[in-house]
Amino acid sequence: MLYRCSAAAVALAAVILAAAVAQAHDETKYPDLRGQWSRGKGGAQWDQSKPGGLRQEVPLTPEYRAIYEANIKAEFAGGEAYNPQAICMPSGMPRMMIAYEPLEIIVTAEVTYVRVDHMSEFRRIYTDGRGWPDKIEPTFAGYSIGKWIDANGDGRYDVLEVETRAVRGPHAYDHNGIPFHKDNQVVFKERIYIDKADPDILRDEITSIDNALTRPWTVTRTYYRDRNASWYEHICVEDNHHVIIGKESYFLSPDGLLMPTRKDQPPPDLKFFNQARK
Amino acid sequence: MPRKLAGFLVSGAFVLASGAALGHHSFAMFDQQNLIELEGAVKEFRYSAPHAFIILDVRQEDGTTEAWILEGVSPSALTREGWSRETISPGDQVKIKVAPLRSGAPGGWWTIDKVNFRDGRPVPGNP
Repeated sequence: MLYRCSAAAVALAAVILAAAVAQAHDETKYPDLRGQWSRGKGGAQWDQSKPGGLRQEVPLTPEYRAIYEANIKAEFAGGEAYNPQAICMPSGMPRMMIAYEPLEIIVTAEVTYVRVDHMSEFRRIYTDGRGWPDKIEPTFAGYSIGKWIDANGDGRYDVLEVETRAVRGPHAYDHNGIPFHKDNQVVFKERIYIDKADPDILRDEITSIDNALTRPWTVTRTYYRDRNASWYEHICVEDNHHVIIGKESYFLSPDGLLMPTRKDQPPPDLKFFNQARK
Repeated sequence: MPRKLAGFLVSGAFVLASGAALGHHSFAMFDQQNLIELEGAVKEFRYSAPHAFIILDVRQEDGTTEAWILEGVSPSALTREGWSRETISPGDQVKIKVAPLRSGAPGGWWTIDKVNFRDGRPVPGNP
């Protein structure tokens, strides 16, 4: 009798476990996002549909347009103090979605992960139905909550809607230094979906809501899938030759010595060094 | 906006510089409109992130050499064009057109299509 009860208990447990596992992640309900997603050829400006620089037509307030113009002027003069990524600081959101190096998207029932080769960045998009925490520690990737949508009613999810908050700086949209408001209160809303006409094209409509903007700004990034690609490590600090000291950018020689990046650039301030020792 | 700044911001030169970046940092420190040709022996080929570097001993007029540090795209981008860390080796004699540092210091930026071996070997990705 005891043996029959134990066996039944084991069988029941097995059925419950199987049902739980099946419910946990039914892959057939989600789009197939496996493979390597790259941004294709072309420049790395934020809005791929427009040329870089001021022709991005960013809807900035007058105050932040002035900052943007100053960043561009500094860039053209050879300086990149406005661009922390030059010294291997993370891209953060939204810049990591430029995909300087390819992306990998890993879907589970509770979280969709976006792994970025460039700078080895990583995003978690929580899809477990949670609400926003009362307090969030800001990070470069921000805190993302997403929801899968069956937009075309065929019983399968086809759109991932995401909201991201608590993004910390320093950051910019791209290498030209499109700025964010210094209050670091930007919110991003995304719709991520596979192109209806081509299953190997992924689109991310990213809307930035920021106090440096006069209105929400929506940009669509496009990615192209390679199902059999190789993955490469990208450790930015391995051999980076760009140095920023204060507001000045320098370039390292083969021997690790500082070189100027613009004419008549002053050397860094050496006041903490014993300059009598020469 | 000051007229001089306005003129600069819409000038072709600026537009070219700001749109030409392919990576995580700007390349405006390199003069991409006035390329120079360097010739010499490869001292080192650093196939490392974030960008591959060629260290080139460039022959000077007085017979000496000067080491130039030349930045390229990332190793992953080179690999996708058929390169490997063995594509260029120390001792290889190359001719290479680079966008030099605006400061005049011995540094520059190179792309695959501007690299040629003096012995005529094909360069992957350079038709």
